[in-house]
Amino acid sequence: MHPSQGRAAEAKRPALTRRLIASEHVAGWAFVTPALILIALFALVPIGWSLLLSFQANNLIAPAHYVGLANYRALSKDAAFRSAIGHTLLYTAVFVPVSMIGALGLAVALNRKIRGIRFYRLAVFVPLVTSTVATGIVFLWLLDPTFGLVNYLLSLVGLPQQQFLQDPSEAIYCIVAMTVWGWLGFDVIIYLAALQGIPGDLLEAAEIDGASSWSTFRSVVLPLLGPATLFLVVWSTINALQLFDEIYVTTRGGPLGSTTVIVYYLYQQAFQFFNAGYGAAIAYVLFLAVLLVTLLQLWVGRRRVHYSS
Amino acid sequence: MKRVVPTLLILLTGALAFSGCGGSSSSSSTSAGNGHVTVTLWEGDTEIEAKSIATLVAEFNASHPNITVNAQFSGNSDYALQKVLAAIAGGKPPDISYLYGSWAPNIATNPQVVTLNKLAEDPAFDWNDFWPSERKVATVGSKIVGVPALVDNLALVYNKQLFAQAGLAPPSANWTWSDFENAAIKLTNTASKQFGWAYVNDASEDTVWRYWAMLWQAGGAILTPDGKHAAFDSTAGIKALTLLQSLAQHHSIYLDNGSDSYLGLFTSGHIGMLWTGPWDLATIAASKVPYGVQILPADLNHQTISGPDNWVMFNNGAAHEKAAWEFLKWLTSPAVDLKWSTMTGDLPIRESVTKLPGYANYTRKFPGIAVWVKNLANATQSRPVTTLYPKISTVIGQAVQGVLLGKAQPQQALSQAAQQVNGMLSVPE
Repeated sequence: MHPSQGRAAEAKRPALTRRLIASEHVAGWAFVTPALILIALFALVPIGWSLLLSFQANNLIAPAHYVGLANYRALSKDAAFRSAIGHTLLYTAVFVPVSMIGALGLAVALNRKIRGIRFYRLAVFVPLVTSTVATGIVFLWLLDPTFGLVNYLLSLVGLPQQQFLQDPSEAIYCIVAMTVWGWLGFDVIIYLAALQGIPGDLLEAAEIDGASSWSTFRSVVLPLLGPATLFLVVWSTINALQLFDEIYVTTRGGPLGSTTVIVYYLYQQAFQFFNAGYGAAIAYVLFLAVLLVTLLQLWVGRRRVHYSS
Repeated sequence: MKRVVPTLLILLTGALAFSGCGGSSSSSSTSAGNGHVTVTLWEGDTEIEAKSIATLVAEFNASHPNITVNAQFSGNSDYALQKVLAAIAGGKPPDISYLYGSWAPNIATNPQVVTLNKLAEDPAFDWNDFWPSERKVATVGSKIVGVPALVDNLALVYNKQLFAQAGLAPPSANWTWSDFENAAIKLTNTASKQFGWAYVNDASEDTVWRYWAMLWQAGGAILTPDGKHAAFDSTAGIKALTLLQSLAQHHSIYLDNGSDSYLGLFTSGHIGMLWTGPWDLATIAASKVPYGVQILPADLNHQTISGPDNWVMFNNGAAHEKAAWEFLKWLTSPAVDLKWSTMTGDLPIRESVTKLPGYANYTRKFPGIAVWVKNLANATQSRPVTTLYPKISTVIGQAVQGVLLGKAQPQQALSQAAQQVNGMLSVPE
């Protein structure tokens, strides 16, 4: 096309269309539309539908009917739901600090220029991309009270044999160990990236001022990791509150219900007991709780985290 | 506000696209005027059974030019329910699906499930030829909602070599609980990590149904005859749970955490006896372990428990229903069922199969299977056919697990469980 022809065509278009084409907004929305449609289909529609479901007596089989807030009222009196909340909180309270402190230590150890560093980094990351089912089965075998490797190692050093996943008071901690192992890689990557973003001149300045390596870490590195820490706290908490897969493939909520966390309880209600409406109500209570916790964390974070060095 | 409008528009487009996907389902009948019908069948068979169903479906399709059965693998049968529920919600269930028997009462509440009473009256179909336990599970109230697809039961499988080493005579058909208990204790050797018996202790239905067999052997019942109250917290119930407790205290039971490790431990000679079904036979026979099969020991009787599964039909129009029934009638006819059993080692689903000339061939091919077939006569009771059964099962699973782990006493565990079950049963449906 000749340049002048192009200009002529442009001039003929109405002003509104021209403005729209020029607007960055429209271009931006056009780019994200395909993704948004997918998100709408596979996330927003189910989210809306489950809200409706939570106001119904629905087993997904027979025709449903509306029961108002009855599911939520029953939930407030459900002792099993309360103990599921207890298990979830216990798990979250152990999982989040353990995985983050572990990840920070590993990230600092991996933030060095030594031979084979790529291999070490890969080794830490591999569990994250291993399927949960495979992880679960491996841990079931490792932790078998009679034939498991862990009890064998304990016996070698003369420590008492444990029941692990078959002991109601130990099982949840075994799940913590399993999930920390599985998810650590993600936290390490975030911390590693944050560590590499710390300007060298700040560390140098601290060194010149005579700071010990511990006080450099405490007063310079740790505060600069603030944004990463805040992100990980929020992200790990959300994940921990939604724990399901690992329970589903290992303990199935047992022994004696000791690992029945909120989402596993939801699954039981919806897909084993045919109370899909009740399950949806549990999902919404969890959703609101996660929202609240996240807002709280962000609010605290805004006061304590510094985003610029 | 400027940003809200495009967002809404995009969402709306998405919603329209979404409803467009679902809208066409009702009209997409595959009977294209020429009388030809494609029947969609969902099954969860793997390995040998997967090959066998493919063979039979091909045979049916070749001999029935007007019907094409399209067998689709739905994944493990454990998850078939979730998929069927989703398909029903989406308005597009398969014409036939394989579903576990314990789901029947809940599935029966769906208006799209085809009630088969009229069809089953056909004398050529011979409904009463199916084993009693199968018919009970397929019948909800007075409605027949499924055609028996598979039947099994629990028998005692033992390691002959371990019995000989312990100086024990092999189990006989007259074995009592105390014979069983003694053998289990004698077969136990903590030092060499050898166990007399194994029990699946994940509090799932796998934990529960073995306990029901023991309850029945001791003369107990799960619910009162009217189905309104718990009846398992009886002397029989306590006796059965006490046997489990005693063996657990002797460390004679390998407590399987649900990963089915018991099977590998049995074939490697770490476990003396199993209460299991024909589904484990192929693995056991393929291993080098010298095994024998016997009916379960008796307290008052030798009852066992059977877990029949069903083919359930969903209504996708009269033409589909007719064709689907045609296929199921053919698939479950004695001659075809014998073919299936001979290929897979599954038990025959009809009594008359055992009288066919080819039956001897089948029992020869799978040594030990004849005990399980005979044992079907000991499966005289079935689990309560109620929508509440999955909940009842969870409560009992916890009670049995508590006793096996030494965290509860039989009597206390059962009376607590009975209290919970009575609570569930008293809620009007």
